[in-house]
Amino acid sequence: MSALPRPPARRAALSPRHWVSEALFDFWASRVNPLWTQRRARARLVGREGASTDAVTLVLRPNRHFRGVAPGQHLMLGVEVDGRRLSRSYSPTVLEDGCLAITVKAVAGGRVSQHLVQHARVGDVVELGQAFGEMTLSATPGTRVLLLAAGSGVTPMRALVRQLDAAGMPVQVDLVYWAQQRGALCFAEEFAAIAARYPGFRVHLALTRDPAAPTARVGEYDFSVLGDLSAAHAMVCGPGGFVDAARARLHGQVAVLQTEAFTPPVLPDSETGTVQVELRRSGRTLELPRGTSLLQALEAEGLRPASGCRMGICNTCVCGKASGVTRHTLTGEYAAEPATQVKLCVNSASTDLILEL
Amino acid sequence: MSAVQNRVLSTAELEAFGNELDALRARHLETLGASDARYIRRVVAGVRWTGVAGRALLFLGAFVHSVLIPAWIAGVVLLALSKILENMELAHNVIHGQYDWMGDPQLQGSTYEWDIVGTADNWRKTHNFRHHTYTNVRGLDDDIGYGLLRIFPEQRWRPFYLTQPVVAVVFALLFEWGIAIQDLRLGRWFAGKITFRQLLAQARPVGRKMGKQMFKDYLLFPALAGPFFLPVLLGNVVANLIRNVWTYVVIFCGHFTADAETFPKECVRDESRGHWYLRQLRGSSNIAGGKVMNLMTGNLSHQIEHHFFPDVPANRYAAIAVEVREICTRYGQHYNTGSMPRQFGQVMWRILRHAFPSRPRRVRPLVAATQNA
Repeated sequence: MSALPRPPARRAALSPRHWVSEALFDFWASRVNPLWTQRRARARLVGREGASTDAVTLVLRPNRHFRGVAPGQHLMLGVEVDGRRLSRSYSPTVLEDGCLAITVKAVAGGRVSQHLVQHARVGDVVELGQAFGEMTLSATPGTRVLLLAAGSGVTPMRALVRQLDAAGMPVQVDLVYWAQQRGALCFAEEFAAIAARYPGFRVHLALTRDPAAPTARVGEYDFSVLGDLSAAHAMVCGPGGFVDAARARLHGQVAVLQTEAFTPPVLPDSETGTVQVELRRSGRTLELPRGTSLLQALEAEGLRPASGCRMGICNTCVCGKASGVTRHTLTGEYAAEPATQVKLCVNSASTDLILEL
Repeated sequence: MSAVQNRVLSTAELEAFGNELDALRARHLETLGASDARYIRRVVAGVRWTGVAGRALLFLGAFVHSVLIPAWIAGVVLLALSKILENMELAHNVIHGQYDWMGDPQLQGSTYEWDIVGTADNWRKTHNFRHHTYTNVRGLDDDIGYGLLRIFPEQRWRPFYLTQPVVAVVFALLFEWGIAIQDLRLGRWFAGKITFRQLLAQARPVGRKMGKQMFKDYLLFPALAGPFFLPVLLGNVVANLIRNVWTYVVIFCGHFTADAETFPKECVRDESRGHWYLRQLRGSSNIAGGKVMNLMTGNLSHQIEHHFFPDVPANRYAAIAVEVREICTRYGQHYNTGSMPRQFGQVMWRILRHAFPSRPRRVRPLVAATQNA
């Protein structure tokens, strides 16, 4: 499996990037083939099929600038919707031919997932970010692996299961997969087929709203049926509430516990109190007040981010926001879109933020 | 000098004026979408295709001597057009962050670099911040005469200004170089406030950029024509000159017409949003014209709208202008617009007139006397 990240392409003296600007190169090269860029990772959609009642699996062929992804990792997928490039993270499975399979569940009100499920067509080109995430298995994954997934949290688990399958299932693996109903399950047949081949791989489907026999949520789930978990390497992926409950249940019960939560941004109840603001470039996390412009709040902490007019017109203080909700101090409008730009002087933090500062 | 009568606004009126403009801005930001993205991408394509066509025609003329003159002229025009479009409708607007909302990394205001000898980094500071925040405020906005010309009687007269009818012409021809060194503020070196070594250190980034531009336009492309380098070299020189003069004319029309005002520093102390808007209006002037004029001036034909909303995509200014005019009429504020010959005629008159000693006009208050008290 060509899954492990490979180093970036070496800079050759004859490389076009020494001679022409990236924008110029990309403009002309993409006239010929939209995948030809100087350094931006992009992918073409080469296949799509339904994965469940409300999910599709998209097969993407990345260009040479994509540096690979390990099973269990995530990447940002960017599409243009109504003139705006919107990015969301997805966990792909690497197929034999190097393509990436990404399963997307249509989320109500989710602009990217709705676009991908309803409008993405074979031939479309999307932007890719490089892979990230720590939820990966080493070549020797101990004696036991426990995978807990809810909803689309199953996607990194599928990649991990395929990795273990390719390695001949070297350890006992239990996958517990929560969904509301059978129709919402993805990869159920694939998991069943793998389970049929290995007695050491067990799949436990937990359908919380199954009309015949509903299963308990993770908080009340009976883990004793899985046997002794004290040596297990546990991995959990799903919505924030699910991950929190799983963490509470498994804390101290397993050898290693890794979690990955995805939660759609939620607007705060009030604009008072403080939030955690992570400054990714300087590697600091600060506790900043809500309701005060980020620029003032950062300056009060002794930082001096670039700034100019302090009234939102000159764009000097503009800064990348990886995630979180900000609020415009003049209009009161909220901005929840991840991977966008924010002007520090006229926006305050409403939720925890990650800034490229 | 001017017969313009602006109504003096009360504090409440000023606030309402600002609120109406804020609301206008919000209405347009809300509706940004695919058509605005398509517009700026079409401008990018226009810049690229005219640039390639212009350079190709220069080579054609250089190698096929029977069509030298027509191909050379067409090549120069297209190359100049490409540079004008890039500098004005694309770079200037993108660098303001007008298209940041698209999330396209190649159209981001904080990183875009343009086809001109000055660096975008200097421009972000001198233009986006200083000029746009302190528009026409004496001592804060270096764009008032660029430290070289006396445009307003409020600037202190010195004998040097007698040369400005000539200096202004040279400045127009070399405008991109003037812009490039604006942030170095050479005056500080002349005055002995910084050493030559310090000046050199500050000049390094812009020096590198100048070298790059010169290499591309005056070495690389001419060299590609081999023995016929001369027409290509001359074509690049002339295209850059045309771009320089055109941008100079457009930019000077923006703040130096007869009715444009300058302001004292005290004006910006604890300035309200409404007051800031009013100052932008009084210090700016538009150029009347149609779609072609808007495109060729990078929509600085809507200088007033641009100064109200420097980070709103410029392709919206024409629609915004209709509403701005209506608001100005209701608040009894003069909306300074006119044809390019009329506006630039006024600019030329200012350059000639204020080369000689002149007396400041009577100070007209921006707002009712209690406002700044």
